[in-house]
Amino acid sequence: MAIYSVGRKRVILALLLTTVLFLTLDLRGNPVIDRVREGFSAAMSPVESATQVVTNPLERAWHGITNYDDLEQENLSLQEQVDRLIGTQAAAEAAVIEGKELQALYSLPSLSGIDTEVARVVGYAANNLDQVIEIDKGSRSGIEIGMPVVNQAGLVGKVTQVSPNSARVMLVTDARYSIAVKVTSSDQGFADATTDTTPSGLDPQQVADAATTTTVPPALVPGITGPDGLPIPATTLPGASANDPFVDATGRRLTPAEIAALAASLTTSTTSVPTDSVPGDSLPGVVSPTTTTTTLPVIEKEYGALEGRGRLRLPQIRFLQDSPSLAVLQVGDLVETAGGSESLAPPGIPVGRVLNRANRPGSGGPLLDVELNADLGRLNFIRVVLYKPLSEVGQ
Amino acid sequence: MFAAFVQGPLVRLIPVGMLLLALQRTLFVDLQVNGVIIQLMMATAAAAGVAGGSERGAVAGFVFGVMFDLAEGTPLGSTATAFTIAGVVGGLLALIAADPQWWLNALFTGLGAAAGALMIPVVRLFIGEPEPFQDRLTIVVPIVAISAAIMSPLLVPLARWCLRLKRPEWTQPVGDASTREA
Repeated sequence: MAIYSVGRKRVILALLLTTVLFLTLDLRGNPVIDRVREGFSAAMSPVESATQVVTNPLERAWHGITNYDDLEQENLSLQEQVDRLIGTQAAAEAAVIEGKELQALYSLPSLSGIDTEVARVVGYAANNLDQVIEIDKGSRSGIEIGMPVVNQAGLVGKVTQVSPNSARVMLVTDARYSIAVKVTSSDQGFADATTDTTPSGLDPQQVADAATTTTVPPALVPGITGPDGLPIPATTLPGASANDPFVDATGRRLTPAEIAALAASLTTSTTSVPTDSVPGDSLPGVVSPTTTTTTLPVIEKEYGALEGRGRLRLPQIRFLQDSPSLAVLQVGDLVETAGGSESLAPPGIPVGRVLNRANRPGSGGPLLDVELNADLGRLNFIRVVLYKPLSEVGQ
Repeated sequence: MFAAFVQGPLVRLIPVGMLLLALQRTLFVDLQVNGVIIQLMMATAAAAGVAGGSERGAVAGFVFGVMFDLAEGTPLGSTATAFTIAGVVGGLLALIAADPQWWLNALFTGLGAAAGALMIPVVRLFIGEPEPFQDRLTIVVPIVAISAAIMSPLLVPLARWCLRLKRPEWTQPVGDASTREA
């Protein structure tokens, strides 16, 4: 039986004080501790490799038992996603090309001009608090502390520790993570009907007829998105049929007044032909099909700070305010990095989409929960963006 | 000094700790229960306390914790504090029973591990990390404690071996109660 005595109490106290000393030294930055850490990691590496080999069958058996149903379910949902993405891929590629051309025209910074280093995820944090992964590339590959890490879907995190052949990446969900982001309109990337001021010169009936042959993709309703964030086909709106958005389900063509009401109900971003621009008649709100163009507007609504909140909790954006004259922050808005001379990430890295909005009393402004594009639970290969903030370039 | 080191517990604690750490960082990261990583090293520290008392438990917890911090990149001493507390609590609880049954050992190990799991956010709070106390802690602590209790029949003998302890041998008192009192 263990006996409790004053001597034992002193030993325990000494050990606890030693941990406090270690903490103080490490938090203030100590090269000796850094070297010891590197040495210990090097010593542990073969032990871990051997353990990995030995325990691999056990891990697989465990996953086979616990994850089989989840895998089946995920397969089904992934198949659905693939089908849906194939449909939108072509449009997205065209938009990307157009965006790059515009960026080149205006000499704007582009992500495609920044080198990246592909790395494999070799480990996850072994405790229940930190959201950290380990990758198999380090300073020898040009990776430095602070560099942003992305995958195909978007932002994953930032590099927080680097050794010659490995690095640790703090994920966006870690409670210590914070980065400047901008919230942009969810209309971005969707077809948006606009008109020029040139009168079409057609009479009202011709306008209504020509509306059925508009060059705007008839399946998309500008500014309206479904629960999955994708634009809702016009045919899903009340009063629209499958082949012609201006013909109702019974086959009856909508009257100009009904078309006007439908157009007005869609979105405020749809520009209507001014009443006096159609000579000879007044059709308020009717979209002119002959002068419609497709644009990809980027409405930057607000800048804020995205902060992680721990495992299984959505990151939040703080320091925001609604700007009624520009746009109101809402569910479905896109979130991407804001950049800036001191930001660790370049502008334009997609982060995710606003999932919830919580209003706070007073001047606190709303809080936005962000659903990340990247699935941080299933990271395999990632890319470290070899980016340095403008304030550090040349130092 | 060399002899003291060779005959002391560190000779066994360090290699066993490396093995446990490798298991913790490979197998146990995958074997999650309800999304919670089972804390093998913390459970071993608590088991060392149960087997050898609070002082030895603290030593084992400190050694394991420092190794964990060095490998994981967490602030050096943060996990060591929690593991030390786990060992101390396990040892203090073991004072309750002179020769505890296996299930009492399991209970003490579980409670020690729970104390250690609770200490981690406390230490993180002290070093200024944002939001260390999360709702998830109500799931993490019980799962860490229960898993430590389940593993204790293996971990207590392992800790006893690491600390070079022999199982206490109790001898049957000779004579009946009246004779002994006389």
